[in-house]
Amino acid sequence: MSVSNLLENWSKYRHTHPLDDGGHADWNAYPSPIKWAMSIDLDACTGCNACSVACYAENNLPVVGKDKYAHGQAMHWMRIERYWGEPEKAIDEFDSAMNFQLVAQNFDVDQGAQFLPMLCQQCEAAPCETVCPVGATNHTEDGLNSQIYNRCIGSRYCSANCPYKVRYFNWYSYPDQEHAWPEPLNQQLNPDLTVRTKGVMEKCTFCKQRTYTARNDAKTEGREIRDEDVQTACQQACPTGAISFGNLFNPESTVAKQWSAQQVDLVKEKQDKDGTPDNKLRGYRILEELRPFPSIMYLERVRESAV
Amino acid sequence: MHRFLRLTILLAGMFVATGSHAAGQPFTGTEDQLGPEVPQPIEFPHNRHAGKGEVIDSGAQDPTQKYVGMEINCMYCHTYARRSMVSGIPPLRKCIGCHQSIESVREAPRIKKLFEYWEGTDGKDAQKPVPWLKVHDLPDFVRFNHERHIQRFYFQQGKVTQDEAGGNDGIREVCSYCHGDIAAKNATVARRQKPITMGWCANCHQKDHAVDATGTETARGPNDCFTCHK
Repeated sequence: MSVSNLLENWSKYRHTHPLDDGGHADWNAYPSPIKWAMSIDLDACTGCNACSVACYAENNLPVVGKDKYAHGQAMHWMRIERYWGEPEKAIDEFDSAMNFQLVAQNFDVDQGAQFLPMLCQQCEAAPCETVCPVGATNHTEDGLNSQIYNRCIGSRYCSANCPYKVRYFNWYSYPDQEHAWPEPLNQQLNPDLTVRTKGVMEKCTFCKQRTYTARNDAKTEGREIRDEDVQTACQQACPTGAISFGNLFNPESTVAKQWSAQQVDLVKEKQDKDGTPDNKLRGYRILEELRPFPSIMYLERVRESAV
Repeated sequence: MHRFLRLTILLAGMFVATGSHAAGQPFTGTEDQLGPEVPQPIEFPHNRHAGKGEVIDSGAQDPTQKYVGMEINCMYCHTYARRSMVSGIPPLRKCIGCHQSIESVREAPRIKKLFEYWEGTDGKDAQKPVPWLKVHDLPDFVRFNHERHIQRFYFQQGKVTQDEAGGNDGIREVCSYCHGDIAAKNATVARRQKPITMGWCANCHQKDHAVDATGTETARGPNDCFTCHK
């Protein structure tokens, strides 16, 4: 992207709403018939962390160790967030008793923990994009929130503005300074993407190297992207098949079917179903009300008590 | 004193900057941009293999008699160019496959060296690959796809059938966009012919190119960072 192109097509790279300038909602006007999206079924998720491990392996992520993890410097593009019990109940108890021990007792341990795989939501109007001082992160035609490591100067403004906190900063030079991949482990590094250097921000790319290959093959064969063409690393590793990934604009894709079955619409900040009482739909997007228009739909866990 | 020094340095810097700006030419390919001269194990003549080269006998019907070059299709040796990210360096077996039956050049110094790699010395190290050095070496953070470019400019634009005499004009033209004219006399494998820089790539990506052989429709290359930067 040249500077002149950036200035001429400013609006294209800086979405405020996906509908404003054609964008992905109007895909006849848009050059790309592809919008990568995901749906994660929390009812199927067992919190086993296989997705996270697969992501480490696929995307050349360094394992930072206990100390740096405690400092919040872990590089897990895909992380499992863990929640115990009913949050409202726990908070109430906490307020009245101010006794953490008591709260812990009252956690709904019978139901077990609830897990939430958290990764970059690839927002259509991403808060991180608008604040980058050098345009290192911008929107691609296939609906990804790109991160260009060469352009990044490490201001970390994007991470500060990300409501999901899914951007990770390279505080150290992991390959040489920290020896994250001592010989012969460097042989396992994926050649399809770089090992990031010190001082740049990084985040989930929806396995860009895989979607790129799938698009390339489809183009050579002169056909549309099919559902089976591409799997992200996390999706591939998930033992319960909780994650599905594909082209949202292809009505035949699993993702599109799931989104429409749950009546979740990409370009709405408040879904229609939210207002209706007793609805049986499970689909939601995290922090939708902030209007980043995320590309990942989560399916609520069905509690025993609710059934 | 310090302030004076600083001002001097600033002025000198500005002077140098202005001077270099005036001298800056649009991608003519300076020595620096073309990269270093690479000492290859064998000075491979691309023009002899794939080029048409000079005319020997203008009346001859057989193209191999007419020109110096053999007009071998680039993708005969660089097999993967049409179906992979990389074009591939041919294995030694492929060189020998032809050259074992070309008696006329068997004693030429370069061919002798080639057969040394094949036969080895004193019965050892036979069939050892030629240690070619990389000339068009892109940085690790760049994703370049040969397949896309070959499919787009060779197959889609119908350059396959351009030369009815069975020559390889079409593919040679397409490859030359980035690799320079390999039919030129000095087309060896020691140095790049074009500056493979980002500005140089973007230059072409911002131009309109015909989509197919007959239509008037044009399209541009992808223009967002993420396509090439990985």
